Amino acid sequence: MKRLLWIFVAAFAANAQVTNDALVHAQQDPDTWLTYGRNYQGWRFSPLAQVTAANVAQLAPAWILPTGVPGNNETTPLVVGGMMYLTGPSNNAWAVDLLTGRKVWSYSDYVPSGLGLCCGTVNRGFAMLGDKLFKVNIQSTLVALDSKTGKVIWETPIDDYRKGYSNTVAPLVVKDMVVVGTAGAEWGIRGYVDAYDANTGKRRWRFYTVPTSGEKGIESWGGNSFKTGGGSTWITGTYDPELNLIYWGVGNPGPDMDGDVRPGDNLYTCAIVAIDADTGKLKWYFQMTPHDVHDWDAVADPVLMDVTVDGKKIKAVGQANRNGFYYLLDRATGRYITAKPYTKINWADGLTAEGRPILIANREPTPEGTLVCPGLGGGHNWNATAYSPQTGLYYFSSTDGCELFDLEKQEYVEGKQYQAGDAFRVPKDPQTGSVVAVDPATGVTKWKHELVSTPSGMLATAGGLVFTGDSDGYFMALDGKTGKTLWHFATGAPIRAPAISYTFRGKQYIAVISGQNLIAFKLP
Amino acid sequence: MRRQKARAHSDLRCFLHPRFLRNGKRGRAERPIFTKLFRSGGLLFSLATLAFAQTNPFAGNAQAIADGQKLFLQSCAPCHGATGEGAQGQAEGMHPPDLTRGQFKAGRTDADLFRVISEGVRGTLMPSFQSLGSDQIWRLVTFVRSLSAVSMSYTGDPAEGEKLFWGEAKCGECHTLGSRGGRLGPDLSRGNRRNNADRIKQSIVDPNADITPGFAVVTVVTRDGQTITGVERWVDNFSVRLIDQSGNERSFLRDEIRSVNRQMRSMMPGDYARKFSPAQIDDIVAYILKSQNKANMQ
Repeated sequence: MKRLLWIFVAAFAANAQVTNDALVHAQQDPDTWLTYGRNYQGWRFSPLAQVTAANVAQLAPAWILPTGVPGNNETTPLVVGGMMYLTGPSNNAWAVDLLTGRKVWSYSDYVPSGLGLCCGTVNRGFAMLGDKLFKVNIQSTLVALDSKTGKVIWETPIDDYRKGYSNTVAPLVVKDMVVVGTAGAEWGIRGYVDAYDANTGKRRWRFYTVPTSGEKGIESWGGNSFKTGGGSTWITGTYDPELNLIYWGVGNPGPDMDGDVRPGDNLYTCAIVAIDADTGKLKWYFQMTPHDVHDWDAVADPVLMDVTVDGKKIKAVGQANRNGFYYLLDRATGRYITAKPYTKINWADGLTAEGRPILIANREPTPEGTLVCPGLGGGHNWNATAYSPQTGLYYFSSTDGCELFDLEKQEYVEGKQYQAGDAFRVPKDPQTGSVVAVDPATGVTKWKHELVSTPSGMLATAGGLVFTGDSDGYFMALDGKTGKTLWHFATGAPIRAPAISYTFRGKQYIAVISGQNLIAFKLP
Repeated sequence: MRRQKARAHSDLRCFLHPRFLRNGKRGRAERPIFTKLFRSGGLLFSLATLAFAQTNPFAGNAQAIADGQKLFLQSCAPCHGATGEGAQGQAEGMHPPDLTRGQFKAGRTDADLFRVISEGVRGTLMPSFQSLGSDQIWRLVTFVRSLSAVSMSYTGDPAEGEKLFWGEAKCGECHTLGSRGGRLGPDLSRGNRRNNADRIKQSIVDPNADITPGFAVVTVVTRDGQTITGVERWVDNFSVRLIDQSGNERSFLRDEIRSVNRQMRSMMPGDYARKFSPAQIDDIVAYILKSQNKANMQ
């Protein structure tokens, strides 16, 4: 009888589709993982509580799937209807049967020569609506796949990869649209957030993160510098259905290290922008690092949290910014509420009442090298973050330490790297990493778990746990309240992606990619 | 005292000079190709043509090195780092090889490097750069080659230095050079362009001035109070492995020890400047540079 029930469940599940309603209420469904940040708020908090501090030590792999594709795996797999859908580097993707851990179908596309890539042919995952899966390809295209077969339904060019545009982001489905961002701010691109019709692949709107002549914000760009202004948008944003606003982080201005050629604040680089979902028009922006010269993208997860500040409930958006500060803003208006450093910084002497950094002199990159903390990668970089409403804490990775920022003047050549410098480690004072837990309302660090290197993305669960991995291949569970390590497993290959959690046949699984291997853990 | 100043280019480079190769081709290029292919020795000739097609037309050419460097910064530095020694920052996790030590997984010849840049390397993150075109790829090859040219500008006597290195100065007890030596210190078998006489001299007289990554000093205190100090093999979030002062490698789980401490300092004795004369140190430097140059050019 029980078996029959499972057959029924399986048959029902095979027809499961992702509806807009399911996306809006994703947090109430503990069994699935429907979108990059698990819910529209970007919490990465699984309501599952079978695995707890008491039994996490018994976690063991249920199955391991080698994808066979080299490169850094940064994907967040989606889980629905007894299937897992994940993307890999170099334009690969797979559907996996949750019962057996075997591939059901594979998708791949060619990788053209002549791409401008800072960080490999990585990809951060699918979005899903109905029975369609959406992913970007590295050569700046957006593709819709049939979730049953992996066959291409439509493919739309986003931009010209020969000019330095590339795409790595996991798309975000909003209503009947697929929203994506671009990479390439080290190649003199002009960034944007795009929305495409989920049925046809036709573009609905484009919001440029760097204004052009005649537009508001152009006064923040000296001369023609806006034309190569950068402002990439390579991490998935979040969405508030009630306010109908899409929140997206914007990357560095170009060229990264040479601020002299682009005088001004360089809007809307290194800012969070709130975009009207229907029109693609800017509702508000908040720029964390005006006139950035350290490559401190503001692309980290803009996580939507409802917090109480001075006794007042506020619909807020929080971000652990690459510049070393955690920021809290009112997400309806963009008003600055608070910010606190979560790592060592030496470039700002606090912030003004409006949240603008008070700069310390002589921290710009120079040909001789300038020691700045945090380094080029931050602070917190892109690695997915987690917010647990259970502990009330916000968890993210940090790189702690300083780097030498070097300036090398450079002329712009279309399609070529336009960074004008680099950052170098200080051999005698190497950077370390940590898992940071902050109180999202105040930005106060509640605990910091120090590690030898930067950890990967975070998963928080209702079992009171935080899961993360490291570049030596350790997958670990920390106590969400204290940061104490409760369990670790040597997977044998670097972990760069965040873990996910879901159920299959009523049991909680924790899945993560390590090197080329997808590993699904469960209790015995 | 004998003073010696050697040239950076090996004899091999001279044979690969474009002048030699161009002359070689010109002699035969006048005849129609079909006639030639059907003549006796035609096959040999077409192989020679093929070999020419895969020969670097810019080998050692200073302009090509300069052009190649520009291309390198635009196309290669994102992963391989601006100096070619491997990436830092964003691409760090990609583990690109060090291109500055004259040792390439792809092969030994310029044609091998050309092939790798042009086609990429399957099973790795190295993509194809065919779209650059062969002229630019050859310039890149020429620049990459120049990265492993060890400075041969030294004043000491390599023969005297060899005696000191393996004898009185005991360098070989901790450092490998070529096929022998110890493992407590960095392997000195191969150098790179930045490895000049001043840099080596500084490392000998002040070992803490420039620590090679991966050679920190690690101190483990066990639960029973024993202290073990050695050179790190690794220190990760859950374990430690070191080479102790007797040369034994030992692993520890962090759970099972009391503490672990990692210091970015050198275990090398700091008294070389007192024990040896400047001339003797120059001799050791000369021996290291000469050996590295030989190894890099092989």
